[in-house]
Amino acid sequence: MPVAAPAVVLSGVTRVFGVIPALVRADLRVERGDTLLIRGANGAGKSTLLRIIATAISPTYGSGTVLGMDLVARREEIRRRTELLGHRTRLYEDLSARENLRFTCSLYGLETRTLEDVLERVGLTEVAGERVRGYSQGMRQRVAVARALIRMPALLLLDEPYSGLDTEAKEVVDRAVLDAQRAGRTVILATHDLTRGGMATRTIFMDGGRILPQLPTPSQT
Amino acid sequence: MGSAERMMGKLTARRGERVLGWLTLAALATSAVMSLVIAPPDAEQRNAQRLMYIHVPSAWLAYLAFAVVFLSSIGYLRTKRTRWDRLAAASAEVGVLFTALAIALGSIWGKPIWGTWWTWDPRLTTTAILLLIYVGYLAVRKLPDSPARRARWSAVVGIVGFLDVPIVHLSVTWWRSLHQGPTVRLLGESTIAPAMLAALLVGVGAFTLLYLYLVTLRLRVGRLEDRVLAEALSPRVGQSPESLLAEAGEVVGGG
Amino acid sequence: MSLLRQTALIAAKDLRVEVRGRYALGAVLPFAGTLLIAFGLSLGPGRTLLQETAPGLLWLAVLFASVLSFRQAYQSESEDGAIEGLLLAPVDRAAIFFGKAIAVVAALLVMEVVVVPMVAGLFGLSLGREPLTLAATFVLGTIGLGAVGSLFGVLTESPRAREAVFPLLVLPLATPVLVAGVKATSLAVGGRGGEAGSWLGLLVAFDLVFMAAGTLVFGFLLED
Repeated sequence: MPVAAPAVVLSGVTRVFGVIPALVRADLRVERGDTLLIRGANGAGKSTLLRIIATAISPTYGSGTVLGMDLVARREEIRRRTELLGHRTRLYEDLSARENLRFTCSLYGLETRTLEDVLERVGLTEVAGERVRGYSQGMRQRVAVARALIRMPALLLLDEPYSGLDTEAKEVVDRAVLDAQRAGRTVILATHDLTRGGMATRTIFMDGGRILPQLPTPSQT
Repeated sequence: MGSAERMMGKLTARRGERVLGWLTLAALATSAVMSLVIAPPDAEQRNAQRLMYIHVPSAWLAYLAFAVVFLSSIGYLRTKRTRWDRLAAASAEVGVLFTALAIALGSIWGKPIWGTWWTWDPRLTTTAILLLIYVGYLAVRKLPDSPARRARWSAVVGIVGFLDVPIVHLSVTWWRSLHQGPTVRLLGESTIAPAMLAALLVGVGAFTLLYLYLVTLRLRVGRLEDRVLAEALSPRVGQSPESLLAEAGEVVGGG
Repeated sequence: MSLLRQTALIAAKDLRVEVRGRYALGAVLPFAGTLLIAFGLSLGPGRTLLQETAPGLLWLAVLFASVLSFRQAYQSESEDGAIEGLLLAPVDRAAIFFGKAIAVVAALLVMEVVVVPMVAGLFGLSLGREPLTLAATFVLGTIGLGAVGSLFGVLTESPRAREAVFPLLVLPLATPVLVAGVKATSLAVGGRGGEAGSWLGLLVAFDLVFMAAGTLVFGFLLED
């Protein structure tokens, strides 16, 4: 029976900004359907790692595949099947949440019939018509989560999604991760918030741009 | 590559550079003698006309250098190899000097002929705009912190800028032709005496050698810069500088 | 999705942002107006001089307005990093280039509809003699500025570029637009629109070259 390619395979991926190495010799393998938790302090390289997997930036050295497709050669295809919930919410301040999401749907060729359901799911139905400029951090993050839910990508990447959020908003993020898990998607979640991440099937630690060596856990053997 | 071969490579590169340097000096000296002594003074402009022997070559190099920027920019975008970016940057830095020189000389030459420092002569005006485009190119190089982005951004400026120059020239020439300005052209209508033509050609050749020499120097500095970067990066990344330089197709310090 | 649809999508988004934020009308138009009045004050009040210089001053105002407009158009992309969203989306790079250009050109044209008659009134120009030539000049010239601005506007993601480098790039590159625009405008208000043919041709050539070049290289400015 054919086995689907692993969600992520990285070999010696290094990313450098000027003289500063943000990610050093990352070797990683993530199987489909896994929920990987990445722990590490600020500056450990979690963001860089996620952004490389999302192909938002390219590696300086090393190579890798995402969903079986080469990081550099098949960027466009990887992007269609990956969503990154990053530091920045990537919203247009002068448009409403609904308009921002409609725009995303159009860009990705998605139908908008589930839009209202998703807005309801993240608790934004009431304010969805107002300009994002007036939103709190929690509300903005909910829009980003809504975006991820509408797209329901094969690989969902979350980079510090909980920062600046109240408990309720954090719950919204967790619900989205669970939704993705239930749908058989692969999730990679990076956070230094120790109270979150319980739904992970696997954890790795990062420090100084490196992925720290792991001991095999029972679920991997 | 064995260390002996590498050393030979460095030696010949330096020797080649030095030979080029001496050749340039010789050519410039010859050009100076021909322009100042052998060529006769112009009938109308007298000795002021001798400025042509450095103005015209400078202008020629200003445009040649930018053509090199254009071609290497394309080369970089297609191959992503640092050597093209290094060449583009080197040619731009040397080219901007020749451009500024051409404008200054053009202005100085024009003063006794036209009576003013500037008359919006189409060729000089286009060269002035070329200077601004060069400056824009060099300014863009200072913006990003990632060398790959710097290379990409400046390559775009180099390509678009070069394509713009002919259009600028056309527009300025038409614009200028509407006015009955000074009809005395710098180069005059009369056929040029053989001695003057020879001096001019030698001048162009000498300046071209000067351009090549300066670019070679600048390329060497560029390679050293990349080497320094690789060595700074090496301990933090746990790879030898050589492998860093080789591995990413010579792109050091940026995806 | 076809390139055309993608372009329309992005242009529509940009126009919506523009209308909501009211940047063109709220900031750029008043700026252009102030600039022209300042020109008038510094060169006037003699009628003849103002009439002669009016086309030049008008196009300078349009040039500066385009720089401001593009800076603003890309500002909305960098506020929350939305441009990364465009980068990651399955959208043709050319669609982003054209979409943004169309939106800003539309805004500039609306502005010109206000400013040109204003200048005609202030500086004593006659717009009625060759209205078609005049309109063609402004449309073609603004498209040219649109191509240059949309391309290099990407650089304004870098804060330093926003200040000085972006205008430094645009102004020399846009010289043909300035020269041709001014000359054609002078001819049009002078009733000699028939002679403006070659200038309009130059504008067309400029537009084509920059649109083609922009399409090819825009992606390189976007990627990291």
